[in-house]
Formats: sequence, C-alpha cells, structure tokens
Amino acid sequence: MNVSEFHADLRAWLDENDLTPGPDHSLEGHVQQFGRVCAALYEADWMRYGWPVAAGGLGGPAMLRAVVGEEVVGRGLAEPGPYSMLEVLAPTMIDYAPPELAAEMVPRLLSGREQWCQGFSEPGSGSDLASLSTRATPDGDNWIINGQKVWTSFAQYSTRCVLLTRTAPGHDGITAFFVDMDAPGITVRPLRTMHGVDEFCEVYFDDVVVPAERMLGRPGDGWRLAMDLLPFERSTCFWQRIAYLYSRLDRLIAETTAVDDAALGEAYLALHTLRCRSRATQHRLAGGTRLGPDTSIDKVLLATAEQKLFDTARDLLPGTIELDESSWRTEFLYSRAATIYGGTSEIQRNIIARRLLDLGKE
Amino acid sequence: MTTAMDAASIALLEETLRKTMATTSGAELDGALAELGWVEMLSEDPDLAIPLVFRLLGETGSHASVLNDVILETIGGLPGGTPPMPYTGGSWVIWERSERDGNPVLGGLPLREVPGGELMRVGEARRALAWWLVGSARAMLALARQHALDRVQFGKPIAAFQAVRHRLAETLVAIEGAEATLTAPAVGSPDLSSMLAKAAAGKAALTAAKHCQQVLGGVGFTAEHDLHRHIERVLVLDGLLGTARELTRRVGGGLRARRSAPRLVQL
Repeated sequence: MNVSEFHADLRAWLDENDLTPGPDHSLEGHVQQFGRVCAALYEADWMRYGWPVAAGGLGGPAMLRAVVGEEVVGRGLAEPGPYSMLEVLAPTMIDYAPPELAAEMVPRLLSGREQWCQGFSEPGSGSDLASLSTRATPDGDNWIINGQKVWTSFAQYSTRCVLLTRTAPGHDGITAFFVDMDAPGITVRPLRTMHGVDEFCEVYFDDVVVPAERMLGRPGDGWRLAMDLLPFERSTCFWQRIAYLYSRLDRLIAETTAVDDAALGEAYLALHTLRCRSRATQHRLAGGTRLGPDTSIDKVLLATAEQKLFDTARDLLPGTIELDESSWRTEFLYSRAATIYGGTSEIQRNIIARRLLDLGKE
Repeated sequence: MTTAMDAASIALLEETLRKTMATTSGAELDGALAELGWVEMLSEDPDLAIPLVFRLLGETGSHASVLNDVILETIGGLPGGTPPMPYTGGSWVIWERSERDGNPVLGGLPLREVPGGELMRVGEARRALAWWLVGSARAMLALARQHALDRVQFGKPIAAFQAVRHRLAETLVAIEGAEATLTAPAVGSPDLSSMLAKAAAGKAALTAAKHCQQVLGGVGFTAEHDLHRHIERVLVLDGLLGTARELTRRVGGGLRARRSAPRLVQL
C-alpha cells in the first residue's frame, strides 16, 4: 500500500468523522478518549493496517501505523501517552505470546476495549533494569509472582500487564508474563508527580497466580523481549510523539508575542532534525534492518528536542507556566522527564559510546 | 564517472576520490577531479556527485573550488566562473580557482573578499557545504576517538572515562542528526530544507570541534596534529552562505511569518 495515499485517505476520513475530545481533560478522560478513538478507527479499519492478519490486523507495513498515530496525536484527538503503550505492547504480544493468545488479546487493545501496561522498572532497578527482582516461582501449571514494580504508566486503567519477572539469576533469568490486572494479589497505587498527573503507578504483587500459558516466550526470554520492544518504541511510537511536539510548536508560534526568531528557529531545527532521523530509522526498519543501538541516537534527539521546545515555550510565553494553570505548565513539567524515562540520556550515551563508537568498556 | 552506477562502482569511485584527495588539494585537486569527470557527473547525477565529493572533502581535510561549479550549475553560469557568494556579516567572497601568496583566510582556503555580488539561488550550494561540514565533523570524531583509545592516563585509556565517552557520543548524535536532514527527501520548500540542513550541519561541526578539541587535550592544540585543520575549515565553511546561527534565526522569522511549523518530511 502506498503510504502517502493511505495518509491522504485517512485525513479525508478524519475530516469527515469528528473525534474531537470532550471537555474532560483529566487523565481518566484522556484514557477514555483514547479508547473512543481506537474503537472508531478499528471499526473503520484504520487501526488495523500495519498489524498482521493473525492478530486481527489487515497487514501492510508498520509505517501505516505511524501515519495513523501522527494524524491522531497531531490533531489532538488523543494524547501520546496511552497511545504509546499500544504501539509498544501489541508488537511484543505478536512476537512473544502463543499465537492463539495474541489473536484473542491484540484486537481488544487495538479496538480500544482494553488498556494495557508495562511492568518493567522496580524501586531497585531503574537504569539497571536487568537487576530486577520481582520473583516468579513455578507451582504446577501456574507461576506465583511476588514483588513490586514502579513507574508503571496507566496501571490503574489497565486490564493486562506485560510483566518482567526473575526466574533465575542474570540476564538469562528474566521471564515475561501477560498478567490479568484483576488477578487477586495485585495492588495499584498511583504516584503523585510534579506535573500533577497521576500517570505513573506502583504495582505490588502478592502471591499472584499466573497460568503457565500466559508466559511470553520461554523462561529466560524476558531480557530479549525488553530489548526487542525498543525498536517499536523508537520508530512508530516516536513518530506520533514528534507529531505531538510539532503541534505544540504550532501552538507556541500562534500564542507568542515575543519576537525571538533565534529561539523559535532553534526549537524548529531540533524538531526537524529529529523528524528526519526518525523517518530514516523507520525506512531502515521497513527495509528489513534490525534496529539496535542506533536507536539510542533517536532517543537522545527526541529528549533533547522535547526539552528545548518547552524551554522555548517558557521563554516566549513569559509567566504562562508559572502564573496560569494551563496545559503549558503540565506539559513543560512533564518534558523534564524526557531525558529520564525510556532509558536515561546517560544510558543512551553509554550505549552509543560502547556499541556505536566502539570505545571499549568503561 | 557515469550515471546510474551500481553500488560496487560507487564504492570504487569513492575509493579513487578518497585517495586522490588524500594526496592533492586546491588547484591540483580541481585538475584531478576534472579528469575524473566531476563536471559531467555534477550535471548528470548531482544527487550522487554532491554528497560524495563534498563529504569526502570534509573527511580527508582536502579542498577544491567545486562549490563554484555547484552554484554555476544552479544559476546556469559559464563554466570556470567564480560567482561572488554571501559570507556572514554581510560581506561577499569569491572562491578563487588558483592559490595566491599572503592569503589571510583562516586555514588557507582560497577565499577573497569582493565588494559585492548578486543574490542567487544557493540551496544546492548550502547542501553541498552541509555535506562538507558533516564530513569534517566525522574526521574530527575519528581523530578524537582514536586518541581516546590510545592515550593512557591514570593507568587506563581515557576512553574509559564517562565524561570523555559522553562528549564523543554527543558528537555522533549531532552528526547523525545533521546527516538525516541531508538524506531525507524534502517535500515542499527546498530552500527551507537546505537552510535547515546547513544549520544542522554547521551546528554539528561546531559541536564536534568543541568536544573533539577537548578530548584531544594538549596534542589537539598543536600545529603538528591534524585536528586544527578541520577546526579551521569548519569555522570558515560555517560562515559561507550563512552560519548555523544566522540560518536558524532566519528560519525562525519564517515560522512567525507563516504562523506554523512546516512538516518538511513525510514517511
């Protein structure tokens, strides 16, 4: 399928079908709106392109999904946060879940009937993810899970969790499960954060029973699953975040009365550079290249551009962030996390130094 | 040089060019490039010729007056001419096709200030300079990387220190970002995308100069080490047809005028 024709058809459809969000700007409202948008787009097939037929999709290249994400997020129909979970977790399920499980579950996610979350980070395992200690122990046909996750986005709205657990020592001892969030023994506590949106949660697991057929891959495949997820996070998923950032730059240009062409130009140059890089990355992926440490460059460019954009907004809309309770404040504050989540900028630079520049060990 | 070359012939051509540039520079290199068919290649396959030749000028640290040819090709000027080009600060320069004694230009590029010139389309020339800057930045990164691996202090290569590693990583990020602006097919305004490409490349080259100079420490400050040649080169090339700073500001003015940020590349 021709990507630009698909894009044009999608634009035309979105012009005809109004999915503008309602007045509820709470986090719950955002999650509901995303579900509404997914349902409509799934019904009209847009949400099914770029996903394999075996998982309820209509096939075609992953770039079609990126185009849908760009339009949905760029038009402000849905927030990039909840959307990113779909983009990251559906491919993981397709690649690692037993085929019948993926066929049953993925359509629920794509059609907006469910929201899923990703249980990776732990209080003691942030940058050093491989040190995670949430334990899964075999018990007949089940596994029993005990431990604690943190920074689990949207856990309070999620029906399922892609969870990393420890089943043996070392990188090879990490095992992933697809866990029902209503299973007995799971407690979710949203974290209060500086931007005032309780997106991130702590999730506690006390003797949670998970059937063995809910294992993703085989025992010990968890680390590979986590690494394989990065190319999705940093291709189709980044493309929608870039669309979001462009929409905020448009808004800034419209709202500012300050005349500071250098600052506007710099923010735009950072976004343009990022967009060009992301385009190249997605074309490499489409051409069959296996994405790896090279996507650390995309991550650094994204985090840098996002903070530059919101720093510029603070400069060119003087007082707005400090004196008004507007979305500029929330989004400015959230942008402070861009160099932290999804692998800190320091970790990305370590990877670039070691794997791309071949500088040897630290 | 012919059009529609396959990958193997392009690799061979690149090797030939690289070797030629490693041993010749200036008017002598102009002659060698002419023999290799530079002018024909420029008119028949500019999308191959410009990135290849200009990137290699940067990587090898050599120079030739080929920017003239790119501009003449764009404006339909007579071969062999030296059209005045805008330089930062409102001045104009020509890129002379022969060397002269007493050239005061930093790093010895044969530029000469002239009283004025005519405004002309320089999009393609900006892209060419951007490729040159990216090539120079890669050359600086290669020098600094090697030094970091070779230089031992406190009993280990300085490449083992995170502060050093992160500077080099930042340099690579800047270079790869700039190169992406050059390889992405632009939809819409070619002038705007070439301004952005030169701004990104100029910025990347200045970033490389700063970080690589620091990583190379004292030896990078000596005349015998090659680093200073690349640093001088990028300082001069950044100023030609607009510095990264000037172009960025001009782009920002354009955004205010049109009241939105154009999405210049699509999937």
